[in-house]
Amino acid sequence: MRVVLDDMSKKYGTVTAVHRLSLDIEDGALHFLLGPSGCGKTTTLRILAGLETPSEGRILFGDHDVTNVPAAQRGIGMVFQNYALWPHMTVRENIEYGLKLRKLGKKEQEKLLQESLELTQLNSYVDRYPGQLSGGQQQRVALARALAIKPSVLLLDEPLSNLDAKLRLEMRDNITRIHQMTRITTIYVTHDQKEALSMGTQVSVMRAGHLIQTDSPRKLYHHPLTPFIANFIGETNLYHGTVASIDPKQAIIKTPFGPILARGHRCAGIKVGDSVSLSIRPEAIQVQFADFGQDASAVQVQTQENRFKTTLSLLTYHGESEQLELDGPGNTKVRVNVFNPPELDLRVGEPVSCFFPPDRVVVLKHEENLSSGT
Amino acid sequence: MKPYSGALPASRHRLAQILGFLVLGLTLGFLFFFLVLPVSVIVVKAFMGPQGFTLDYFRLLFANELQTTAIQNSLLIGLATTILCTVLCVPLALIQTKYNYPMKTLLSGILLTPMVMPPFVGAIGIQRFFARRGSVNLFLLEWGVIDAPIEWLNPESMFWAVVVLETLHLYPILYLNLTAAIANIDPSLEEMAATLGTTRWQRFKDVIWPLARPGYFAGAIIVFIWALTDLGTPLLTGYHETLPVRIFNMVTDVNDNPVGYALVFLVILLTVSIFIASKHFLAGKKFDMLGRGHVGETTKNLGWISGLPCMVLILTVSFVALLPHLSVIITALSDKWFMTVLPEEYTLDHFRQIFKTDLPMIGIQNSLMLASLSTIFDLILGLLIAYVVVRKLIPGAQILDSLVMLPLALPGIVLAFGYVVTYTNTPLDPMNNPIPLLIIAYGIRRLPYMVRSASAGLQQTSPSLEEASATFGATRLHTLRKITIPLVMANLIAGSLLCFAYAMLDVSDSLILAMKDQFYPLTKAIYALFLEHGKGELVASALGVVSMGILGGCIMLASVLLGKKMGELFRSG
Repeated sequence: MRVVLDDMSKKYGTVTAVHRLSLDIEDGALHFLLGPSGCGKTTTLRILAGLETPSEGRILFGDHDVTNVPAAQRGIGMVFQNYALWPHMTVRENIEYGLKLRKLGKKEQEKLLQESLELTQLNSYVDRYPGQLSGGQQQRVALARALAIKPSVLLLDEPLSNLDAKLRLEMRDNITRIHQMTRITTIYVTHDQKEALSMGTQVSVMRAGHLIQTDSPRKLYHHPLTPFIANFIGETNLYHGTVASIDPKQAIIKTPFGPILARGHRCAGIKVGDSVSLSIRPEAIQVQFADFGQDASAVQVQTQENRFKTTLSLLTYHGESEQLELDGPGNTKVRVNVFNPPELDLRVGEPVSCFFPPDRVVVLKHEENLSSGT
Repeated sequence: MKPYSGALPASRHRLAQILGFLVLGLTLGFLFFFLVLPVSVIVVKAFMGPQGFTLDYFRLLFANELQTTAIQNSLLIGLATTILCTVLCVPLALIQTKYNYPMKTLLSGILLTPMVMPPFVGAIGIQRFFARRGSVNLFLLEWGVIDAPIEWLNPESMFWAVVVLETLHLYPILYLNLTAAIANIDPSLEEMAATLGTTRWQRFKDVIWPLARPGYFAGAIIVFIWALTDLGTPLLTGYHETLPVRIFNMVTDVNDNPVGYALVFLVILLTVSIFIASKHFLAGKKFDMLGRGHVGETTKNLGWISGLPCMVLILTVSFVALLPHLSVIITALSDKWFMTVLPEEYTLDHFRQIFKTDLPMIGIQNSLMLASLSTIFDLILGLLIAYVVVRKLIPGAQILDSLVMLPLALPGIVLAFGYVVTYTNTPLDPMNNPIPLLIIAYGIRRLPYMVRSASAGLQQTSPSLEEASATFGATRLHTLRKITIPLVMANLIAGSLLCFAYAMLDVSDSLILAMKDQFYPLTKAIYALFLEHGKGELVASALGVVSMGILGGCIMLASVLLGKKMGELFRSG
């Protein structure tokens, strides 16, 4: 079912939790609401569930306006952050609860119960109480319970945040698999950008009640709209600068490093003299060590543009990769990730030449220049 | 798939909401008619003479030495009881929080039992034991400690008899509050002070006391007000120059002697101002505990030998506290008992008498009926109020909570007095039939326990458990029935047991409101039997033992169900 949020706001007294949010989630999507805590993502989900009513705007499920329809009548399934399993009921009773409310026949009930148990691989735990299950199993019961009623929309509120790192990876795959099998429109709230990047078809990033950008994970990573997103999704180097020249193909930005050339994308709406930010991902930067005469990233640097002299100030070795921190001109820092690092005996204080490939330099407008909420 | 498959019709939701507000209105109405109105009537009548506003009644009150002595005596009873309780409880609480010794759980339980023993029943026992020819004197004579019998219960020492009885009954309340407050103090705070080289006393004075003070005053204030306004104990001890007994004697002729209004108004003023004072001045600031560091086992484990002093102390206190009740049991079982320390022969005859004569059986039957009905009343109303307050269903729900807690501050005699003056010559006139007012009085006075008990359960139950139910299409009522109530069942049972037990042994409402034999509850039957000549006192004791059994059983069950939460029910703040 398609889900539409139309210019929706939620205020608590004078505090605006969600500001004029508009979003169109297509039927069958696995859509992520991503943002730091307090950004309004859970409020948005609770409004979709009908547990809160919006102060302004509309909610549409398909063609139906459900803005004032209570949770009980929306036909949704929800997985709460703490799972909200009823401790006085067994797994079976927890799952059957919603089915019984629908007054289905015994056979139909049993069928739906078995289906959801199979989807979540819980068959051998039906007669246990939630207290007798591990965190991961509890999480699956919460999912099974929400899925059993065959909801038109599935809402997941940080469903994996209470699990340990390894189990979280396993459950990510589980949820993706179940989504692919059921194709239920799923809205997934998380603050974990890795979860969103690895699972989502579309991700909406929120901050302080505003929806900032909705895109595919790839687009979000490579073409963030604001410095906040560039920083929140993955790691990045952010620099302030002023636009020195600009044409449709490329821009030159004055920075403490000197002029930096940025080629390509999304520079619309910027004019000479504007104050902007630049984002360069650590893995995009190429470095060359003077002493060894070779390029650590094993890519030959050919141009003279965007090439800067820096000094190695910190080195962290991870095995498969190596993280360098470089001191640049004007008290700037450059973080560089080198994958598959060559076996070099690098020392702090060594001169390093680094290169920002112009097509990986992203020009970002400052957030305050963004029209609010879109 | 169809959208909204199996969804419930909107009308049912509205119905649940209407019902919710209906219950709320009913609650407010009840509180108005049976709490606010009776108190207001007293206040108004205390200041209204035939010619309008007057202070005459107060002038008359303070001109009468009998009344001023009673006021003074009661204040002193309250003060002395509070001080004695403090002296007793501070070391007890410190020992209980700092040391583990053998059989601690059992002994801690025994330490609390006096709370559930009705002190006015103990008063009967004390009379036997401390009479001129009573067991204590005979024992002391036999051992040659004294030469002539001591007048234990002369008018001066009767004051102390009441104080001691009140202390032995009320100390567990202070003890529960104090141990909870001390246990809540991060042990590392004290350890930190210890590393600075402070003495034990300095640590108590500078660290423990400031942090435990709000908890102390929460308990002390209840002790003070209960001791000040308890009717049963001074009445049965025979110490009649106290506020509650004077009020009790004035109820019937208050229309001829309006000084009674002034006296009751004074009690209201006293209790309310003491509550306010204790909350705002005495208790001091309540400090929130910051996050606690990880601390290991901080209570010291003591063995059988090193723990012996603790065990002896706790057992001694409990034994002394239960002595009056022990004497009631002995009295109830005594056959031939004349000029000996203990009875020469024992019999179950007095217990048999309970079933043979009318009054005891009427008392038991009435009390069972009244206590059951008032408990049902508390259960339903208490749960709904707790639900509305904890889940914040209406704006300003906290006000409702404070309102329901008012009966804790309002002494039973005040409420009962208010009922008599408000509802005489109405269909609820207690002269005709006190049953409805008794049920309401029992119910309203124990409602705070029920609300606290249910609130404690609801606060531990995450709202998301109810929200989850709503997402499946359940109405609020369905969710309440299937999810909420089963989850707080233990709290509801415990609260009900407490309400039931305390209603069974209510003294002030029963003594004041039940005016005809046929409506006598258990306590009034005991009182009436006690006043009878001949074997009345013995049957009264037997009936007292039965009532102790009922109360003890209920409270023990409740404490098993509530566990450590039990202490929270006896806090004023």
